[in-house]
Amino acid sequence: MERITLSNIDEIKKKNTKDRTNNIKVGMSTCGIAAGADEIYNLLTDEIKKRNLNVSILKCGCYGMCYAEPLVEVDVQGLPRVIYGNVDKETAIKIVDKHATGERLINDHIIKIIERD
Amino acid sequence: MDRKTIFIKDTNNTNTPQTLAIYNSFMNYIREQNLLNDIQIVRTEDVGVYAKGVVAKTYPVVKIFENVTENDVPAIVEAVKNAAGGGVPSRDKQVRRVLRNCGYIDPESIEDYIANDGYQGLKKALSLGSPDKVLEELKASGLRGRGGAGFPTWLKWKLTKDIVADQKYVICNGDEGDPGAYMNRSVMEGDPHAVIEGMIIGGYTIGATKGFLYIRAEYPLAIERIQNALNQAYAAGLLGANIMGVNFTFDLEIRLGAGAFVCGEETALIASIEGRRGTPSPRPPYPSVKGLWEKPTFINNVETFANVSYIFQKGAAEFAKIGTEKSKGTKVFALTGKIKNSGLTEVPMGTTLREIVYDIGGGVIDDRPIRAVQTGGPSGGVIPVEYLDTPVDYENLTKLGTIMGSGGMIVMDTSDCMVDIAQFYLGFCVDESCGKCAPCRIGGFQMLKLLEGISNGTAVKEDINRLRDICHATQKASLCGLGQTAPNPVITTIKYFEEEYLEHIENRRCRAGKCKNLVIYKIMPDQCKKCGICVRQCPVDAISGTRETGYSINTSKCIKCGQCIEACKFKAIIKE
Repeated sequence: MERITLSNIDEIKKKNTKDRTNNIKVGMSTCGIAAGADEIYNLLTDEIKKRNLNVSILKCGCYGMCYAEPLVEVDVQGLPRVIYGNVDKETAIKIVDKHATGERLINDHIIKIIERD
Repeated sequence: MDRKTIFIKDTNNTNTPQTLAIYNSFMNYIREQNLLNDIQIVRTEDVGVYAKGVVAKTYPVVKIFENVTENDVPAIVEAVKNAAGGGVPSRDKQVRRVLRNCGYIDPESIEDYIANDGYQGLKKALSLGSPDKVLEELKASGLRGRGGAGFPTWLKWKLTKDIVADQKYVICNGDEGDPGAYMNRSVMEGDPHAVIEGMIIGGYTIGATKGFLYIRAEYPLAIERIQNALNQAYAAGLLGANIMGVNFTFDLEIRLGAGAFVCGEETALIASIEGRRGTPSPRPPYPSVKGLWEKPTFINNVETFANVSYIFQKGAAEFAKIGTEKSKGTKVFALTGKIKNSGLTEVPMGTTLREIVYDIGGGVIDDRPIRAVQTGGPSGGVIPVEYLDTPVDYENLTKLGTIMGSGGMIVMDTSDCMVDIAQFYLGFCVDESCGKCAPCRIGGFQMLKLLEGISNGTAVKEDINRLRDICHATQKASLCGLGQTAPNPVITTIKYFEEEYLEHIENRRCRAGKCKNLVIYKIMPDQCKKCGICVRQCPVDAISGTRETGYSINTSKCIKCGQCIEACKFKAIIKE
């Protein structure tokens, strides 16, 4: 990475600011990993690749809802941004099949609805 | 434009949730109205509202409809269809500042942090012109130490800055040892650069060239992510010489704690970094005068540093907008115990315990009545249910005899015994006492003996006064915070729940059924269906009888493990 100085930091910020829609995030702090987030992350990555979807997948920190780990946040164009809790393999595949494709949200697993700014 | 959506959930904790029934009425209605492609109906696990019947949350115009019945369905669908209001506004009590990036950015990417205002705070601090200006900004924010005691951060920095020395140090205390608390771990794992940015600003302000992150070895992932972030910061010229092109050098290094609770105390922590045995030493001199290797040093908690980077990124005025008069900003709590939604929550200072427990935590498991909330870990006290409407800030908690601590919050219900709780926390502190000073080493041990006596039914009434005396002496005479605060759980439980102590002593009774020597297990013949499952579960063959005659428990053999109670589907076994 290039050296960051007082004068170029804003430019670097701009360069790295990306559109945050069309991504799936998996909470991968100790709490998430302990609940099996690793497996879900790998599964989601594979399934998205298989279907050739225009969705990026990201590891992120803990969202705080430890009672419902593993947590998967899905933000795709045209659908509300939500977090799924207690995601097992079956739910993960449903998420890729229905939600990541922009079709619809999955019943019975959403634990948080994030309002867009 | 996002698809119009109605989220529904039955928020009453009944055995027959109405979610599906209402879901079907919504589906039927939108099918009739031919709106299937315009509006989606989604059943959720949680809508952020509790005990308000079936709740419908609409989107993208976010409104909450409570106690929804079939009759409300058309009106709600119409409201969503026309993007009209109706209902009540949704209110999220959480304000995410320290956790602003946790769960949002990739913690292993400095680029992602920079894209979200990362290191703008450092830029601002370096551009202010002088360290004094940085202190002014920090003072204006009103930030107080998040490690527990609530000492004004700017003053701590100023005291360290004002001393002339050839070398100064900055230390980040990441030795989070309270049982049930993990706020710092989440920040270090989810947003490591925010902590580092705060430390660099601190180093610049006091004129330090070196800093240490003291992290407990039990947090391997936090250590890995912090190390990764340090490497990235070095590569980007944010650490090392000429930071951001300014004539300022600052280095950071990780030091691992080996699992001693007392090393969270600042003088013991310093000893541990120096490579000595982690025992505290008397203050003064304070670390700001003679700290690490006898050089001026300031120590702040992980959360404090994360707040510092927020303050410089967004401005002191923005930070001070929320909170109470004397406690500004937010506090992260680790909500655990008998709570439905355990986890981390960040709320403005001044939020009441009731809001935290019921509106964020979703209430007590199985809807049992709440009895008390314990804050501050083993150094804190127990707050009884009468004070549940107390706004949480440093002063109010101190008044109640407890402390903010680093932010552990444990919810207790009627199945918790206060003597048992006091014994647990005191036991923890006795285990972790370093043994250097007598009040903590001996006082703690004697208090524990007395509590064991109460819990075993061998105590006398006078023991409560003895406990009070020893508590007082330990508080006053101990060398460091561990001993001074170790009696807090005992003092507060005696203060607020004395009748429960007396019950243990005089009636030999533990109402929660936790003190094993005071309870006996009994099978109620009326409820017993004579299935015999309990016999198979009992590990010591204490249950005898046949399917014809019914069963009984031999109390002299029973070890009170509770397995029979769990196994009995008819709730025929009780503790008395």
